Amino acid sequence: MFKVKSFLIKLAILPLLAFGIGASADETCMSPYMAKIVGQEDFVYVWTLGKEGLGDEQDKLVTIDVNPASPDYGQVVHTLSVGGRNEAHHSGFSDDRRFLWAGGLDTNKIFIFDVHSDPARPKLHKTVDDFVAKSGGVVGPHTFYALAGRMMITGLSNNKDHGGRTAMVEYSNQGNYIATHWHPTDQDLRGAEKTGKYADGYGYDVRVLPRRNAMFTSSFTGWTNFMMDFGTMLSDGEAMKRFGNTAVMWDLHTRKPKKVFDMPGAPLEIRCAWKPNNNYCFTSTALTSQIWLMYEDAGGEWQAQAVGDIGDPSKIPLPVDISITSDDNGLWVQTFMDGKTRYFDISDPFAPKQVYEKVIGSQVNMISQSWDGKRAYFTSSLLDNWDKKGDQDEQFFKAYTWDGEELNLEFAVDFKAEKLGSAHQMRFGAYGLYGLKRPYEVKSLVADAR
Amino acid sequence: MRIFWVLLFSSSISTAEPVGDVRLAPGDFKGGYDKLDYETDSLSLPARTGIDADLIGNIKSEHLGLPSFSAYQQEAPDASAIALGRKLFFDRRLSRNKTMSCAMCHIPEQGFTSNELKRPIGVEGRNLKRNAPTLLNVVFNRRLFWDARESNLAQQVWSPLLAKNEMNNPSVGHVLEQLHSDEEYFDMFMNTFGETANIMNVGQALAQYQQSLIGGGSRFDQWYFGREKTALNTLEQKGFAVFMGKGACQSCHNIGDSYALFTDHQLHNTGVGFEESMRKDPKSITVQLAPGIQASVDQSLIRSVGEEKENDLGLYEVSLNPMDRWTYRTPSLRNIAVTAPYMHNGEFSSLDEVIQFYNSGGAPNELLSPLIRPLNLTNHEHLALKEFLKSLTSNNLPELVLDGFAAPVGDVL
Ligand code: HEC
Ligand code: HEC
Repeated sequence: MFKVKSFLIKLAILPLLAFGIGASADETCMSPYMAKIVGQEDFVYVWTLGKEGLGDEQDKLVTIDVNPASPDYGQVVHTLSVGGRNEAHHSGFSDDRRFLWAGGLDTNKIFIFDVHSDPARPKLHKTVDDFVAKSGGVVGPHTFYALAGRMMITGLSNNKDHGGRTAMVEYSNQGNYIATHWHPTDQDLRGAEKTGKYADGYGYDVRVLPRRNAMFTSSFTGWTNFMMDFGTMLSDGEAMKRFGNTAVMWDLHTRKPKKVFDMPGAPLEIRCAWKPNNNYCFTSTALTSQIWLMYEDAGGEWQAQAVGDIGDPSKIPLPVDISITSDDNGLWVQTFMDGKTRYFDISDPFAPKQVYEKVIGSQVNMISQSWDGKRAYFTSSLLDNWDKKGDQDEQFFKAYTWDGEELNLEFAVDFKAEKLGSAHQMRFGAYGLYGLKRPYEVKSLVADAR
Repeated sequence: MRIFWVLLFSSSISTAEPVGDVRLAPGDFKGGYDKLDYETDSLSLPARTGIDADLIGNIKSEHLGLPSFSAYQQEAPDASAIALGRKLFFDRRLSRNKTMSCAMCHIPEQGFTSNELKRPIGVEGRNLKRNAPTLLNVVFNRRLFWDARESNLAQQVWSPLLAKNEMNNPSVGHVLEQLHSDEEYFDMFMNTFGETANIMNVGQALAQYQQSLIGGGSRFDQWYFGREKTALNTLEQKGFAVFMGKGACQSCHNIGDSYALFTDHQLHNTGVGFEESMRKDPKSITVQLAPGIQASVDQSLIRSVGEEKENDLGLYEVSLNPMDRWTYRTPSLRNIAVTAPYMHNGEFSSLDEVIQFYNSGGAPNELLSPLIRPLNLTNHEHLALKEFLKSLTSNNLPELVLDGFAAPVGDVL
């Protein structure tokens, strides 16, 4: 044991793999600024919501071993409780992938985990608890998206009315506040063109296409709605008016909004294509169940267009997370209400076709797929007060393999039975990323040498 | 490296000009959202800057249509206590997880209530069973809360501070210890009360701020008490006649000879509560998905993702007298145009719906007030009554709202 440890420490000081080295990555929706994993991921980190009455009731980072070669394959190998129910939601690595930033939409705390010292056992490195004060009133840190040396954090709300008007907030990798970028509103478009009828100032996700100097944001809803009991909200006509109906195209370098697009019905996750000539990004609208494309037209102008329906929109399937394949040919879309994942052929981005679907559970939200598309992981939770009630509130992590035709379940972790909480967003970890050898491989090397 | 420097110098907080006037509505206006031709008219948050008001001056000045303040005052007005109360009111750190202040439910530009949902939600998004009343002119309410269970403002504050579904503090002592350990608060309490924060003076300070939120001088007041003949147009005057006569609204929403509080300080059964407790759930409801886009949603779907609404029996919950089932306090109608949605449960989103409810005779039940009966209003009378109700907005409301904007919002530093 001692031998293995000292070996790891020596390797840890080797320089990190730089961007562009190695042809593959883990999830296909990560920042292009980010160092990549080569080959099989070792761990999935699940940012998990604490549930009243279950286990220790607080949010935690759950580490699951997903490497089939590992003796711990399929097991929860580590949990790290952070204190409180913060409405754990999304997380993202810094560009060097050494740290995982995870946000609490309710308490606005940001937990920065060290995932490089020992990828099997993340450590809490720093907690940012003054995000609201520093940012000038932004509430609900949502997406953590790595830019060069920076973390771009999207907000969902504000500390004045807990409504949907909000901003993006930029931090240094060290966790220091740098700037607040408000979403354009009618009163202050900040130089952007309002291309349609809406400029609501709402926010949700952010993605970039550095080669086109373009940044894109979508829009969800404020604290009042995302914290409210889902059924109560659906029955409240006033509350239902408080959803975002816009996406914004920004100048990436200057951080200035350029175009506000109408996108009715709460566009959520944004996924940009990877191929150098594919200048487009997808998003889907949660309430109106449409796939939207933001694309650069022949004249170099950015446009937005609805390109397809997801399920039967009149039944409100509620598309939530989406994930694009690394060859830009496929899009996974989860619909929360029917617990389905749906695979769309997007080889013609203007005409997505659903070619496969499978029920994952009574409810489903997030997906993370490997770069080669052969493995896909799913989790169940949407938001603490939006998840289904009673028996319908299954909470799980499920690992599948995908052979291009069928998803095959490899293993599942029941987050309720394990008293962990509600499973939300997933990020991949790997020893190789930090020049570390897998401990069980080192052990066998040592054994062979003997 | 080059990119790094570009970023460093180009990113800054946008600085829009402060607005001189103030919109007495949510900053992201949603009027006409049910129509396809809806357009946003959204205000910039960085431009939501305020101007400190002289709140002591506001208390002392003449407010056309209001009774004498001193007849109702609960604390002897004191500028330093008002400032302390205002700071407490907007301090989100005063809740268990530092996310909720009084002002997150009693929002200044939303009539010191919440316009954006029927019933506000508290810590961790927990449901409340009632709509948040406005705090404008709250000092003139003889009893507090929809069921009149509380008698004064200083005591009232501990309800939200300790309620699990509001600010969720674990104990009185916990709140006081937070205030003791904060240097700024420590000094303010010492300077104001000559002692540190305690169970009495926290309430007194908050009461001081809230009782300064008074305003009369509406166009109705100028017309009725100020005898300015043109302050109300003819339609509004017609509406006043309906209010006093055919509508018989004044039998509960009283208008006196020298002032008008639009309340009899009594509790009545209008049937709103009965309807809520006893009606059968519709099979499906219409849900607004986006501007001009609606869907009919099955109750079974709503139930799969929703918790049961807590029942509400009104005064009965306090008295345990079955005759008091579903009776609620008559609210003032001052500033009614800016305090939607309406009734103890926020059931009605517009004044049109309220008037329609009264016009049809309320919701019949064995305990229905005899003063509530079908009114047979014509469309014109309905419209006139609505226009009249919209004339009750206090003329100093913009100042009170801008003062709210100027108040520091307490967040974790
Ligand atoms: C979570 C939302 C919420 C918060 C936070 C909140 N309130 Fe309220 N407030 C309400 C609701 C709802 C009611 C009505 C409750 C009832 O009648 O049973 C109310 C009622 C009141 C009333 C009675 C008004 C009347 O006319 O009867 C006062 C006064 C008041 N609140 C002051 C405060 C103060 C002071 C704070 C902070 C210490 C506060 N509120 C925090 C929602 C809130
Ligand atoms: C029997 C006494 C009574 C009469 C008559 C009456 N009201 Fe009311 N009014 C009440 C009570 C009690 C409530 C609160 C009911 C509830 O929340 O369940 C109320 C609530 C309201 C509200 C909502 C206030 C708020 O802040 O939510 C409006 C508006 C209103 N009344 C207008 C009128 C008008 C207009 C008329 C005449 C057509 C009228 N009322 C007649 C007793 C009365």
